[in-house]
Amino acid sequence: MGMATTTGPLLVLAVVVPVIGMLALLVMPFLGIRRPATVALAVVAVGVAIASAIGIDLVRSKEAIVYVVGGWAPPLGLQLRADGLSGVMMAMAALVIAAVALYARPQFDMAEDAPGGRRAFAFWSLLMGLWSALNLVFLGEDLFNLFVALELLTFAAVPLVCLDGKAETIEAALRYLVFALIGSALYLLGTAILYGQYGTLDIGTLHGRASANLATHAAIALMIGGLMAKAALFPLHLWLPPAHAGAPAPASAVLSALVVKAPFFIILRLWFDVLPEPPSEAAARVLALLGAAAILVCSVVALRQRRLKLMIAYSTVAQIGYLFLMFILIEPGVAPWTTIGWTGGMLQLISHALAKAAMFLAAGLIAEALGHDRIADLAGAGRTVPVSVFAFGLAGLSLMGLPPSGGFIAKLLLLNAAILSGAWWVAIVISVGGLLAAAYVARVLKRAMAAPATAIETRAVAREREWPALGLALCAVALGFVPLQPLDMLAIGRGALP
Amino acid sequence: MTGASLFGLAACVLIGLGLYGVLAHAAPLRRVLSFNLLGAGVFLLFGVAARRGAAAGLPGDPVPQALVITGIVVAFAATALALMLLRRLTALRAAERAADGLRDDPKGR
Amino acid sequence: MTPAGALLAAALATPLAFVALCLLPGFRRRVFDLLPLAPLPALVAAVAAPGGSLLLAPAPMRLVLALDEPGAMLLGGAALLWAAAGLYARTYMATDPTRIGFAVWWLLTLAGSLGVFIVADMTSFYLMFSLVSLAAYGLVAHEGTPRAESASLIYMALAVLGEAFLLLGFVLLATAGPTGNPLIADAVASLPASPWRDATLALLILGFGLKMGLVPLHVWMPLAHPVAPMPASAVLSGIIVKAGVIGLVRFLPFDQPAADWGTALIVLGLFTAYYGVAIGITQSHPKTVLAYSTVSQMGLVAAIIGAGLELGAAGVSRLAAYYALHHMLVKGALFMGVGVMAATGARHRTLALGVMAVMALSLAGLPLTSGALAKYAAKGPLGDGLAGTLAALSAAGSALLMLHFLRLVAKTAPVRADAVAGWGLRAPWLATAAASLFAGWMLFAPAIGYAPASALAPAALWDATWPLLLGGLLAFGLARSGIGLPKIPEGDVAALAMCALPAVRRIGDGAERLDAALRRWPVAGLALMAIVLILGATLGTAR
Repeated sequence: MGMATTTGPLLVLAVVVPVIGMLALLVMPFLGIRRPATVALAVVAVGVAIASAIGIDLVRSKEAIVYVVGGWAPPLGLQLRADGLSGVMMAMAALVIAAVALYARPQFDMAEDAPGGRRAFAFWSLLMGLWSALNLVFLGEDLFNLFVALELLTFAAVPLVCLDGKAETIEAALRYLVFALIGSALYLLGTAILYGQYGTLDIGTLHGRASANLATHAAIALMIGGLMAKAALFPLHLWLPPAHAGAPAPASAVLSALVVKAPFFIILRLWFDVLPEPPSEAAARVLALLGAAAILVCSVVALRQRRLKLMIAYSTVAQIGYLFLMFILIEPGVAPWTTIGWTGGMLQLISHALAKAAMFLAAGLIAEALGHDRIADLAGAGRTVPVSVFAFGLAGLSLMGLPPSGGFIAKLLLLNAAILSGAWWVAIVISVGGLLAAAYVARVLKRAMAAPATAIETRAVAREREWPALGLALCAVALGFVPLQPLDMLAIGRGALP
Repeated sequence: MTGASLFGLAACVLIGLGLYGVLAHAAPLRRVLSFNLLGAGVFLLFGVAARRGAAAGLPGDPVPQALVITGIVVAFAATALALMLLRRLTALRAAERAADGLRDDPKGR
Repeated sequence: MTPAGALLAAALATPLAFVALCLLPGFRRRVFDLLPLAPLPALVAAVAAPGGSLLLAPAPMRLVLALDEPGAMLLGGAALLWAAAGLYARTYMATDPTRIGFAVWWLLTLAGSLGVFIVADMTSFYLMFSLVSLAAYGLVAHEGTPRAESASLIYMALAVLGEAFLLLGFVLLATAGPTGNPLIADAVASLPASPWRDATLALLILGFGLKMGLVPLHVWMPLAHPVAPMPASAVLSGIIVKAGVIGLVRFLPFDQPAADWGTALIVLGLFTAYYGVAIGITQSHPKTVLAYSTVSQMGLVAAIIGAGLELGAAGVSRLAAYYALHHMLVKGALFMGVGVMAATGARHRTLALGVMAVMALSLAGLPLTSGALAKYAAKGPLGDGLAGTLAALSAAGSALLMLHFLRLVAKTAPVRADAVAGWGLRAPWLATAAASLFAGWMLFAPAIGYAPASALAPAALWDATWPLLLGGLLAFGLARSGIGLPKIPEGDVAALAMCALPAVRRIGDGAERLDAALRRWPVAGLALMAIVLILGATLGTAR
């Protein structure tokens, strides 16, 4: 522990480069660059390169990458650490952000003094800030450092919700912010108790030291509860539908695909890396029950939405439920990352991120072409924006869990794990959830492919704007070619945790 | 009763009050204020942890203090963001009401 | 790569390549005319490549193509019918403005339907099965009428339900066996020892039975077949339901007798065989009658498979495939014939009606036709007991149903008395009809193991004839007695299921109300506190 690896500075770059991008946006007018999108896309290119480099290094060295900030080793100092799991998360984030940036460029390409320029400037700055915070969440090893990263993430995400400045979206943003703040306070309360107990917040140090006692359990319960509020796990999802449905399409894509995954990632770390072994089955069952309720209730509610974006938002709440099933599916006594439940859960997370981002991006163009996103009146979308409707369908394939798609492999592995661990009810919930997802996706596709009864007025959408959504959807489909077994990549560096 | 216990109890009272406020009040401004109260309670708890961590022979553990300072900055930023959103919302709502030809609601939601 | 393996790959790749080429406008304009070409590599493969296999991707993916005997029979029949129906569609839908979209669905369904016969690993099978199930939606929904809309909706809902059954069944099967993506045969070999044997078998029979139209999961068939364009009905009824047959053939463990599930399948199959006839004779649309006849015939196939399962006789897979092949070609010819008859005037009808009569009665086992041979083959596993007798008697039911069909089809009125269906319709129809006879005789020996002459023995001929006579008598009696048959809506129990709609709607309302209540601020806040408390309490309990 505390030994920095030679490629460690890459981790710092992953966090800092987006921030540099943010600063560059500020000084851009002095450099003679007028369009923020130009700067942002350059930063995205660099960021993608960094994420790729980290991924390649992980695969090659088969060991975690570590950076000790300022040379101050934990427990006093901070450490950044990328294991296989973090590497995959960062690659996922880079992919989604790159697609979103390409998509958003025509929409937010105006100079700051042009109409809509301030909004464009805000969008790109927030996107950069959000990316930095995400990477910090994936790399952080200190629970307080993770708190700061989560707050940064929230502060970047909330204004994205109300980018259009309308009263309803500001109200949604405010609701999101205040509820997330309650979650933050609970999380922080938990860290205070943990610090009082162990005098350290470094996950690696706590891993060996945490013992099963009331204070530890109370602290972890507070932290997980707070994170659940931020991840919008049913029944704590009150803020998500209006926020994700009200944001502009590229912002919704990032919020639904990535932002809600960050608190889940920290729950995962608390559960597997901090909680004294073995985690209680009763608690795992509580998480799985909430996840199952999310899948069943919110899928039905998604099926009954009248607006496309609200439907996708409810689908997100339902899909988050799947993530919380994995805690009960991982058998105690074995290293979790060698189980199919672990791979299934992570694959669910990643393929949902790709598919959901693709869906929101496609829905944005559908709404732009038709001038509305009422599901009942989507007829004609198939002719106006065929690529987007196709991308929506492909992404839907993954959500339904039909082959070939990442969602299918994830569902298969989760089902497999459910049966192996004897959790039949989980297997049934997963199956029913797939049926409901098929229903809500098919309902949209059916309308969108229909010919309009009367001539409708549509706005032309440049074909190349449709490619990013298609690209993400194809990536979600490509994940369907992951072999059906525990993925080695997800285990890199996990065993070495002190 | 030691100082640490007293401060600990005070922190608990603050946290309880803050939680009650943030959940029970409908007005956003009150929720934001309650959140600050809640935050203050948590920071106080960190202070208690610093006192208890003084076993190493120091008069107090400096780490929680650093954490509290960071936490206060974060809470301040959160409050500022919430208040800005709230102000904007109030202004928009007022404009809406004016446009609807209704009398401005003095409570200002 | 062996030549046989390459042929298998080409069989699967050709239709998919056609779909991909549709991105090119030049190809897209012509794709509809090229439909008959898409299944030709599969036809060649069926003849030249039995026994061949190809590893598409090594372990742990392990995507494998392989062609065994039952697979080759069904692949050949399916490729033939796809080609004939494609040819038929060229004329039948020549003026349809949306036929390009139809062609894409057609090709996707084609790829999936051929794929299920040649893939040997579980994931690929599921992929192909999903492809054929879901792409067929486009064929059912093509006409776009309100009837087609509701039929395609019910089709889709049941297809997805079937997928869910199968997925769960497959997971159970794979969990019990080797890890990763096992070959179907390896996974099935581990089934008898699986702790979840019964659940697995139940799910597999539900999933595949739904595709075959076993009662009560048959409702999609009489709804979907009549609303699809004629060539699509032909492949739906002829080929797509056979995905269920090959599923049962591949996934049931015939190596060891499983009396319980075998008997269950026989009972279910025979019940379906009679049920299809009983509902079918109340129908007044020839295509609906044919759909119910498919339900009935597939019930018989299920009974044959069940008998094999009961006895633990692996050879039954060939018999079931042989029977299914007969039904595939005959039913395809019958559907195409309905279109031919509708375009043929009264003056030229006699000959066409003659061909239709032979095909229709072939389903009831008319001597010398493929039907007689198939029923002869079925005698082996079903035996002379109750099941065998009931199966033989069901041929009388088929005869009754088919006479009803012939009466309906003779009544269909064309535009003009001297109208003649073009060769574009007649040629594929006659070719399919001829192929049914040819394939029946050609494959008799390899499928059953007896010389074809044994089916010509007097006893065998009598066995084939008496149910026909009985069916004829029944039809005559029914017509003379003047008993009014009740009017049963198409899809029978689906109409009953519609009564459950208000309950479903109430569940939806309930979910929405629950969601609205939980999204109120104080409720969500209290839920958060409750979750923290419960988590804290449960974290302390020991594992």
